[in-house]
Parts: sequence; structure tokens; C-alpha cells
Amino acid sequence: MLRYVLIVILIIPSFYCLVLISDKSFKPIFLNYAFAQSEDIKKTFGGYLPGYKAKDTTGDVLDPMLQVISLENAPIDPEKYLREFNYGRVSVNSNGTITREFTIIASDHQMKEISPGIYYNLWTFNGTSPGPTIRATEGDIVKIKFINNGSKFHTIHFHGIHQAKMDGVFEGIGPGGTYTYEFIAEPYGVFPYHCHIQPLEEHISHGLYGVYIVDPKNPREPADEMIMVMNGFDTDFDTENNFYAVNSIPYYYMHHPIQIKQDQLIRIYLVNMLEFDPINNFHLHANMYYLYRSGTLPNPDEYTDMVTMSQAERGILEFTYKFPGKYMFHAHKTEFAEKGWMGVFLVTEGDTDQFTNTNIIDQNINNSLSTNEKIQNQNLNQVNMNIGVEN
Amino acid sequence: MEEYKKINKDKKRVNTFSFGKKIIFGLIPFLALTGMIIFLLSPTGHNLISSGIPLPEITFEKIEFEDDIIVAYIRNTGPEEVTISQADVNDRIHAAAIEPSSILSRLSTAKVIIPFSWNPAEPYEIGITVDDGTRFSKIAEAAAPAPKPNIEKVSLFAIIGIYVGIIPVMIGMLWFPFIRRLKIGTYKFFLSITVGLLVFLGIEALLEANDISTTNLAEVLGGQMLIILITIISFILLSYIANKLINRSETNIKDNKKKKNFDSMKENTNEEEFIHKSTQERDQSSSSYLSTSDNTISSVIPTKDMLLKPLALSLMISVGIGLHNLGEGLAIGSAILLGEVALSTFLIIGFTIHNTTEGLAIVAPLSKGGKLRIRKLMIFGLIAGGPTIIGAWIGGFIYSPIATVIFLSIGAGAIFQVAYSIFTWLSGYSGNKNIFTDKSITLGFIVGMSIMYVTGLLL
Repeated sequence: MLRYVLIVILIIPSFYCLVLISDKSFKPIFLNYAFAQSEDIKKTFGGYLPGYKAKDTTGDVLDPMLQVISLENAPIDPEKYLREFNYGRVSVNSNGTITREFTIIASDHQMKEISPGIYYNLWTFNGTSPGPTIRATEGDIVKIKFINNGSKFHTIHFHGIHQAKMDGVFEGIGPGGTYTYEFIAEPYGVFPYHCHIQPLEEHISHGLYGVYIVDPKNPREPADEMIMVMNGFDTDFDTENNFYAVNSIPYYYMHHPIQIKQDQLIRIYLVNMLEFDPINNFHLHANMYYLYRSGTLPNPDEYTDMVTMSQAERGILEFTYKFPGKYMFHAHKTEFAEKGWMGVFLVTEGDTDQFTNTNIIDQNINNSLSTNEKIQNQNLNQVNMNIGVEN
Repeated sequence: MEEYKKINKDKKRVNTFSFGKKIIFGLIPFLALTGMIIFLLSPTGHNLISSGIPLPEITFEKIEFEDDIIVAYIRNTGPEEVTISQADVNDRIHAAAIEPSSILSRLSTAKVIIPFSWNPAEPYEIGITVDDGTRFSKIAEAAAPAPKPNIEKVSLFAIIGIYVGIIPVMIGMLWFPFIRRLKIGTYKFFLSITVGLLVFLGIEALLEANDISTTNLAEVLGGQMLIILITIISFILLSYIANKLINRSETNIKDNKKKKNFDSMKENTNEEEFIHKSTQERDQSSSSYLSTSDNTISSVIPTKDMLLKPLALSLMISVGIGLHNLGEGLAIGSAILLGEVALSTFLIIGFTIHNTTEGLAIVAPLSKGGKLRIRKLMIFGLIAGGPTIIGAWIGGFIYSPIATVIFLSIGAGAIFQVAYSIFTWLSGYSGNKNIFTDKSITLGFIVGMSIMYVTGLLL
């Protein structure tokens, strides 16, 4: 009898061991190549935030705040996008006005890596989200040739003053279709443009938007100018954003601080295109900025370090840094900040760069032709490529 | 005649197949099956049958809180390999590491380590995002440091195990002298109370296992079918062992009978026999006002050879309850581990009261026979109560939902087997009639279930 008791007592732990082994996905090392690969290399993670010690792991590190995604498959190159303005193919009309021609191609089937290791079907204008920044001067004629290279209907709806049929709402452009939007740039200010096909929420949240800037005839003071589009992505389609950012890539300006000069006037064209969340905001550290809401009036509305905007609200922010160093800027909705919407200005001492005012027409033509031709070529390549694929 | 010959011929032909041929015929279906599987896995077959996009699925099995670190154990329970790309705490992205790799093959597990200064007793939602952007998350109700197996903790869990498992069972055994003084009818009543208790415990274990399998186990592991499977296996296996045990003890009696008869006169009256004698004497004296001596259990069948079967039955009850208590220990240990701190104190008090009835269950069949060794009772108590300690250690230090489900199911099977054994035992008393024709048995069963329900409310 005692033997049976012993057997029962022994069976209990041995059975548990069996269960444990099967449970912890016990695997011989030679079968699990991933395990074998990563075992030898010890990686350190964390530790850069105050209060957190760096830790070692034999596994993989998951840290979007440090990890840099390959820009080849990124929604955009935030470094380039930040200061890139497109002035279009410029021609001077007989009456002295200027015509600026642009080509914008919509696409809705590109898997992009929006955060390290996370892929999302991004819908793009000219291959990026946000789309190219279109810039004109008040009174210019803006012509945009729109090509829909996607699989759904798309349009471009510009904010600003124009004719009804140039509004991009009722004239949906089907797959493969084209349309030319033409209007006079007015008034001056900063505006969003976006697709206006329903479901609007879907078309905007997937990335079909960009910035359109109209400079006043009387040019603004020269400054280090940059574009910041506050946006986010709902990667699991639960109508809540999983990632927030300025210029699409979460944390990008954390690991790539924006280099600026001490005492240099900085001008930010800030546009909120965030879907799902009712508000978004911009907080600047250790400084205050002049806020020109919509950029449509000559005088600032506020002198502040916080501006809150709902979707499609925008403004121009002007400031200079008095002291060198690293300064954060982020949404003061901390949830958004902690899901990627944060960045750093790196202020350095030294001579301020000489920024020329963009309103000088001659220079404008020279600059813009070269950049725009590039885009044009890219677009053509893309079109050719896509046609090739479809054939 | 002709036909008969023909049939015979056919029979011969079938029987004279060579060994090699037998193997070949045995293998043909296997080969056909292999061929079909290869076809289905090939691109052609795959395209033919697969439709739709397989969605990833991740199950959180455990969340642990250590010094400035949160550790989540996850399992890929989706249909395909998946890559884990990001981790978050309360839906806020945090730096993390994943071991052994961020690539999880089907059903494999990984450990996500998130450095995080958590606050005790606060709830935390741990999330991970896979490469297609889908986020999976699980909430830990109240953060509590994961117990590390140091001497202090090990002994604490052992003390909890003793309080919950062993002591209540031993207390329950103190009903032994009371039960052996009962009339047969009342005895049957108490024995069927035991059955009621056991059936209740078994069902409770099944429900508990079901609860864990639905909340902590992925569907892909088939948690609910696993419970049924293991319960039945446990029932059948233990029935087999029990029958062996009883048969063996019976043959032992026969073999030893003659020898014992010679030796019995020479044997010194040892302690147990002294107790036995004295209790018998007391029985006789007390029974005069309790009942007529003919109806007292101890005087009905006093012979030693009949005592072994109840002993075997009691042992089986102890083992069954022991397996059940292992599950209970797991529940207590993991309640402490999973941060349900307030619950665990309550659990301990509840289980203590609850388990007292288990001691009653163990001694109930024994009181039929006359002789009883204290040492044996102690062993039974340890078999029944001891696994609580082991369970608490396992649940507290290496909690695993699938192991808990399996053990609860084994416990349930064991309990049902014991209940079944007692019923058979009782039917012997009732003259092999349908036992529910017996008033005291029916009543006892109902009372047993109800007692468990009421004491269970304390949990």
C-alpha cells in the first residue's frame, strides 16, 4: 500500500514537470534558429530616461524611441519634408501674373513602415503622407494636375477661396482618372489639402493630406521655416489612433533633433490633420511663440507656448531660442506624446544662417524648377512603374 | 459443400498473407494520407483551399511585476508566424525587450520585459503591437511584486498550505469517534454527505478550470475539451488503480489469514490495538444509551479482513482529495501571484472551513471497521492535505494557466472517481438496490451539496 502512496506522490511533481516542459514551448536549440541567433548577442535597452536603468537582453529590443526605421519604406523622410517647399513649374503670364503648375498622384496601396516593425497600408499623394507642400504667393495662379493612381475614388480638396468645381468634393476622380484644379492663390495663410471622398474619415486617416501655403504679397520676415503636420495612425482600425507624430514618423525628431541656431527666427507652419481625436496641440519647451492662427492676418493672435487645434486647424508659429541646448516640443495631451508625438530642437551657438525670403520671384523660379522637375520625374517614373505592374 | 470449401479457401488466402504484405497493407492508408497532406501544403493545394487573410492572435498568459520591471508572458495563438514590434503600458509606448526573439512561430511563447516604475496595487494594462499594427492587451488588476522563491516565501507558502490543506483535514478527521458511534442509517447519511461534498468539489474544480481556460488560455489550445479529456482520463485511470488496490488488499488478507491466526496470540498488544480495545469497550458502554449494540457500526462487522477494503477506499479518497487540493493550492498561490491580494486572505479562510469537510470524507468509510491506526490516519491526512503546499508553491512561483487547468481537471476526475467508489460501497449497504431508494442516502447527498454551497459562499 505504501508503494502506491509513494507512486502517487511521485507522479504529481513529475507530471507537473512534463506539463511545464510542454507549456514553456520547450524547444531544442538546433530547431529554433531565431533563438540560436539572438542568444550570443547581448543587447542593452532602455536607460536613457531619468530613473530607468539600462538593461541587458539576449532577445530583441522593442524601442521606437531609439530605433530608426529605414527611410526607403517610410511614409516620408521627415528630415527632408520638414524644410521642403514646392513652388511648382513657374511661368510668367503676359499680364505679369505667375502660374504655378503641380502634379499630384494619389495612391492607396502602399504598405509603409510607420513605426519600427509596424506596417500600415498608407494612402499617399506623390508617394508620401503628408503629400508635398505646395507653396505659392497671393495672387498666383495655381494649377494642379491630379492623377488618381489608386483603386478607389479620390479628389483633392484645398482649403482657401476658389470656385465650386475646384473644391474637389462632388467631382470624384475614379481610378486612373485625372483632373486639373485651377485657382488663384488667396488669401495668404497656411491651409491643408486632403481627399474629400466618403468615408472621409477613412480617406484622411489613411494619409491623403498635405499642406498648402500662400505667402503674402508683402513677404514675411526671413526665417528658418519648417512644416509640421500633426497626424496619427490607427493601425488596428478601432477608430483610435495607435501612433501620433509630427510629420508621420513617431519619435523621429527625438532621435533626429531638429538643428536650429541660437537667436535665429524660426517659423513653423503647423497643421493638425489628426483623425479620430477631437483635439491635438503643440507645446514648446523653455520658450514662447507668436501664434498667427491660420496665418491669414498680419498680427499675431497670441504669445504662448501652447496651442490646441481640432482637425484642419492650423497656424504659423514664430520664435527664437535665447539659449543653446536641447528643447522638447510635444503634444501636451500626454497620451499623444507618449505614443510618438514628441521631438527635440537642438539649439546651437554661432552665426545664424542667412535665410532668403522665398517671395523673391527670380530666385523662386530657379529653385523651384529644379526641385519640381525632380518630383515630376519621380511621378512619371512611378506612373510608368505602376502601369508596368498592372500590365 | 462446394461453397464451404470456397469460403475456407478465401479464409486461407487472407490468413496466409506474409508479414511484409501485412505491413504494406497497413501502410497504404498512411501513404495516401501523407500524399494528400503534401498536396494540400504545396502551392497548388494551398491556393485551392486557403481563402481570406489569417488574422494574428496573441494571448497573454501571465504578467509579473518585478523591481522597476513588468514582464508579460505571451503566446502566439494565431494561425501563422507573427512579429512583435512594440510594447506598451496603459496604452503608452515604452522601451522593451522580447526574449528569445521578436519573431514568434505558431504556438510559441515569448517574454516581454518592460522597464517601468509601477505602483503597488494599481491596475496596469500591458499591450503589444504586432507587425500589421494590431494591438493585443491584458489588464493586471493590481500590481504586486512576484514572489521570488526565497526561504521566507517558501515557508510562508508552506504555512498557508498547512493552514488550508492539512490542518482542516485533520480537524475534519476528529469526527471519526462521532461517526463510529452512529447507527447504520445515520452512518449512511454521513457517508452520502461525503459524496455530496465530493460531487460539489468536482463540479467546482471543473468550473474553475473552465474559467481559467476561457480567460487565460487561447482557444487554439482547446481548453474546454482539454478539461473534459483529462477529467475522463483521470477518472478511468484512478478507477483502474483503485480496483487493483482493493483486489490486492483482498488477496493479501486471504494469504495472511492463516498465518495471522497463528501469530495473533503471540503478538503483543500494541498501541493501536490498545486504543481499539479501549474504544470498543467505550463503545459498548456508551452504545447502551446511544443505540442498541447490534445497530452500532463498530459492532456490526468487527472482523479485521473487512477493514482493509474501507482502508483502501479511504486511501483513494485521500488521494482524490489530495489531487483536488493541489488544484486549490495552485489557485491560492496564483491568486497571490496575479495580484488579487485581498482575495487571497479570504480564499485562505474560506478554504480552511471548506476543507474541514474533506477530513470527514476520509474517515467516514473507516468508521465501519473496528481497528484503526493513528499513524495511518495521519498519513491519509498528509496525502489529502499535503498537495496544497506543493500547489501553493507551484501556483505562487511558476504559475502556468495550462498546468492549472490540467491539475484542476485531474482533481475533478479523481473526486468523481472517489464519489463513484463510495456510491458503490454504499450500494453494498443498501443491498445492491438503487441507492436513491434509501432515504438517508438521498438526504445526505443533498445536505452534502448544500453544505459545500454554503461554506463556498465564504470564498
